[in-house]
Amino acid sequence: MGIQEQYRSEAAGLLSSGAVKLVIGFGEGSTVERRRPVFVRTPAETERLVLDGGCVANLSTYLLTEGLLSDGKSVAVFLKPDGIRSINILAAEAQLNPEQVVIFGFDIEEGQVRALEGRKASDFAPVIGVAKAAGLSAELQKEAELLDQISAAERFEYWKDQFSKCIKCYACRQVCPMCYCRRCIVDVNQPQWVNTSSHTLGNFEWNIVRAFHLAGRCVACGGCDRSCPVNIPLRLINHRMAKEVLDAFDYYAGECAEQKPVLATFRQDDPETFIL
Amino acid sequence: MAKIGVFVCHCGENIASMVDTANLVAAISEHPGVEICLEYKYFCSDPGQETVKRAVREHNLTGVVVAACSPRMHEQTFRKACAEAGLNPYMLELANIREQCSWVHTDKEEATEKAIEITRSLVEKVKRNNKLYPISVPVTRRAMVIGGGIAGIQAALDIASAGREVVLVEREPSIGGHMSQISETFPTLDCSQCILTPRMVEAVQHPNITVMTYSEVEEVDGYIGNFTVKVRRKARYVRMETCTGCGDCIQKCPVKKIPSEFECGLGNRSAIYTPFAQAVPNVPVIDRSRCTYFKNGKCAICKKTCQIDSIDFDQQDTIETIEVGAIVVATGFQVQNTSLYGEYGYGRYKDVITGLHFERLASASGPTAGKILRPSDGKQPETVVFIQCAGSRDVSKGVRYCSKICCMYTAKHAMLYAHKVHDGDTKIFYMDIRAAGKGYDEFTRRAIEEDHAGYVRGRVSKLYEENGKLIVRGVDMLLGRPVEVAADMVVLATAMVPQPDAKEFAKIIGIGYDEYGFFNEAHLKLRPVETATAGIYLAGACQSPKDIPDSVSQASAAAAKILGLFSREHLEREPVVATVSDSTCAGCWGCATACPYNAIDQRDITDRNGNVIKRVASVNPGLCQGCGTCVSFCRSNSIDLAGFTEKQIFAEVMAL
Amino acid sequence: MSEPFEPKIVAFVCTYCTYAGADLAGTSRMKYASNVRIVRLPCTGRISPMFILKALQKGADAVLVSGCHPGDCHFAQGNYHARRRWTVFRALLSFTGIPEQRIRFSWISAAEGAKFTELINNLTEDIRKLGPFEQYHELQTVIETQATY
Repeated sequence: MGIQEQYRSEAAGLLSSGAVKLVIGFGEGSTVERRRPVFVRTPAETERLVLDGGCVANLSTYLLTEGLLSDGKSVAVFLKPDGIRSINILAAEAQLNPEQVVIFGFDIEEGQVRALEGRKASDFAPVIGVAKAAGLSAELQKEAELLDQISAAERFEYWKDQFSKCIKCYACRQVCPMCYCRRCIVDVNQPQWVNTSSHTLGNFEWNIVRAFHLAGRCVACGGCDRSCPVNIPLRLINHRMAKEVLDAFDYYAGECAEQKPVLATFRQDDPETFIL
Repeated sequence: MAKIGVFVCHCGENIASMVDTANLVAAISEHPGVEICLEYKYFCSDPGQETVKRAVREHNLTGVVVAACSPRMHEQTFRKACAEAGLNPYMLELANIREQCSWVHTDKEEATEKAIEITRSLVEKVKRNNKLYPISVPVTRRAMVIGGGIAGIQAALDIASAGREVVLVEREPSIGGHMSQISETFPTLDCSQCILTPRMVEAVQHPNITVMTYSEVEEVDGYIGNFTVKVRRKARYVRMETCTGCGDCIQKCPVKKIPSEFECGLGNRSAIYTPFAQAVPNVPVIDRSRCTYFKNGKCAICKKTCQIDSIDFDQQDTIETIEVGAIVVATGFQVQNTSLYGEYGYGRYKDVITGLHFERLASASGPTAGKILRPSDGKQPETVVFIQCAGSRDVSKGVRYCSKICCMYTAKHAMLYAHKVHDGDTKIFYMDIRAAGKGYDEFTRRAIEEDHAGYVRGRVSKLYEENGKLIVRGVDMLLGRPVEVAADMVVLATAMVPQPDAKEFAKIIGIGYDEYGFFNEAHLKLRPVETATAGIYLAGACQSPKDIPDSVSQASAAAAKILGLFSREHLEREPVVATVSDSTCAGCWGCATACPYNAIDQRDITDRNGNVIKRVASVNPGLCQGCGTCVSFCRSNSIDLAGFTEKQIFAEVMAL
Repeated sequence: MSEPFEPKIVAFVCTYCTYAGADLAGTSRMKYASNVRIVRLPCTGRISPMFILKALQKGADAVLVSGCHPGDCHFAQGNYHARRRWTVFRALLSFTGIPEQRIRFSWISAAEGAKFTELINNLTEDIRKLGPFEQYHELQTVIETQATY
């Protein structure tokens, strides 16, 4: 039995026993390679669940649907290690109770799906440990370094061009499990910190503020990058933030549910290289 | 509509010579919302202040900007003037055009331009100021002192003598702490028990002091003026109310060979015991883990012996909830576990002891009745080696700090030994002699000159036993040659370390601690007695190593702070505190984690039926100190700081 | 020859240390360039990254953020929190092309009037050489032109 069939039957079992009220997984998409989230509430519907190399989205974001977890019942969700880290962060930030989340863990290697052992977020600590030890994506690092090599003025022009495309559709915010605020800073108009019309200054501010708010929280699931309709390379800016907190504070977002937010804590001997 | 009054001060020539005030007035008068703009030679003078007040009244001003000196200079002056004119004192800003403009610039045109910008930006800020009112917090005028050593006793006595109630909580069966274990005290060599015992008795008999021994603090809730403390009163199995302290039960108890904690294991105690003869209260406790009755239901000799039936095997721990307005933490220290020093053979060789052991040997009420006898064979040692900094100032042992008291007590030990063993010989290995304190250097001189303490500057590298002697190998740095001493006893001046459970306790009570577990003061230099948590104070060695005079001083200082707090029924605080917007708070608790003062709690918002709709952050204005760290953390901008709101700063910056 | 460029510098400082240090520079009659505008906050912990962006929008060519030395914070920890925030925010700004020379951070105590004076003078001189931060200010002109129709 393949992992897809195995998870389908386990999901059916969980639903029929009432252990979970909902399974959030992947289903057929509009094209052969694309997968879209499906929400399965009955054992029969588990036939719709698909698990293959196209299942890249971080489905943890759907757990935050208003009221979904407020009845105390459990929900099962298909997650890669990045999504499991998201669960840890959301638990640390009191947005959900990890005991209510049953995880169908999997990973994709060279297009092939592999099952991960465990059901609760805490079961996957070894997997996350391995991921931390392996370091951040070398591919992204290479891409980000290209930008580090050019002058600040050239970098500014690069991002200006990128951000000038932004239409403030907020798809990046919508798809991100970390953007759970009921009122985003961009919607604050007393005072209006971020200019909301889609001109470049406001776009610049919006994207900088979002990246800052994701520092030490982004798990590089790539959701924002994929969802951006104008292809702003948000992955790079988020990667740069992840690298900074890892290098400076040995902080790897979502290691466990007890991890304290990197920017709400400090060490007296934090590195200090730039302060006059 | 904003009606702002701007008052440009010349400060004599101090401002006027470098800032063209007429120009400044002209520019500011044009600014939207400015109702009136006046200039005057000295606005801080009486006629100057009267001008401000008159303008506030006549023009119904909604805000005032005084363009003058630093707010650090005259903010209070003008706040008072505003209040006297009927304007909320927080509707005032000072534009600093003296210290940060006229005094530091040399070009009048530039300085004038800068003064205009500074003033304009503060006009924009003050337009968005809110009326603020001092926060009034009721104060429960009863204090709790945690820890019944000399620091705790002193703090309790000082507060109680000033007429306030005190609850003194001690976890051991008796108050007295480490000072009760000490033989004589430096630099006077008066007997420790003789000066301490009267204080212990005074504390327990004081009408304003409730002493709770054999009790531990389990939970602290609330904030300055309003703490609720849960204290566990451990079962003594002896009725406090009736026991007369006759000691018959102790005499008759068949389980006698239990190493006494008080005697550092040099003497024994029984299963029912008082830690020492002068214990206060003089009521024994039963050590449940050692008592035969509790092991197998037999024995109960103590119960049979007691003529007034004070033994009660059915006693249970009780939890008492106590309301207090302030807390003194005086939980003391421990002596470092010397097993860390394998090279000094502690634990392996019976005659390698700590300074605290030596105190017990030297104590007239100790296991040897004050005779210096070595633990292994009870013989009088002829040569004693003292090793200072055994643990302290040693990075490899994890103690980088100086334990402060060891230089003095080692000198004292050498003297006591010399007084008791006239032909004895001492060698003291030391790094430096730190004898700063009243009469301290004289004391160490006396040890050297009159009592022939043999100081050797250098470290000990090795210690081993040979033919019944302890061979101590070290180096004399001053002579630059190795030293070898055949000693009969070795005394280690071990480091003073925090209580083993200090960090857990700090978390319970909500105060900070350093890397070692010593409790953190609010400010090392200027607020050494307070903790960062308002209403909680420190006394004694729980903060850092201290000797008796320092502990007592700090205890009295803590008491003075508390008596100041208790001088009024309500505590008035600056209203510069944070507030949360319930509707937008996402409940991530980042603010609560970041807050240096534990001032942010969770609050449930419920519907009519009491169902929790959401859980939001909530700032306790009694604890908030107004730093604003939470505000900059909050991603959804749901928390703001009065006096420095997002709106105010935004306007100030956008007007630059 | 045209007028030499005079940069605009905005400083966000805490009231207990750097603001007091700037006051001390004044009472000691030290002299420094008049290009700096000081915004007083209770603590560096209160200085949110948005302040820096708004200052740049309003034409600042450089921003200085300054507070108490580590260990000296009036609020005990505010500057430690601030330091973490700055580390991250500075990396972010640098990555998006906002030059590190234009965003400076310092510890200046209430006793360091001379350090404040020297820092402002050096910073002003550096930015004079670097020139105006037109790249960022141009973003603002876009808004203003858009706002006109």
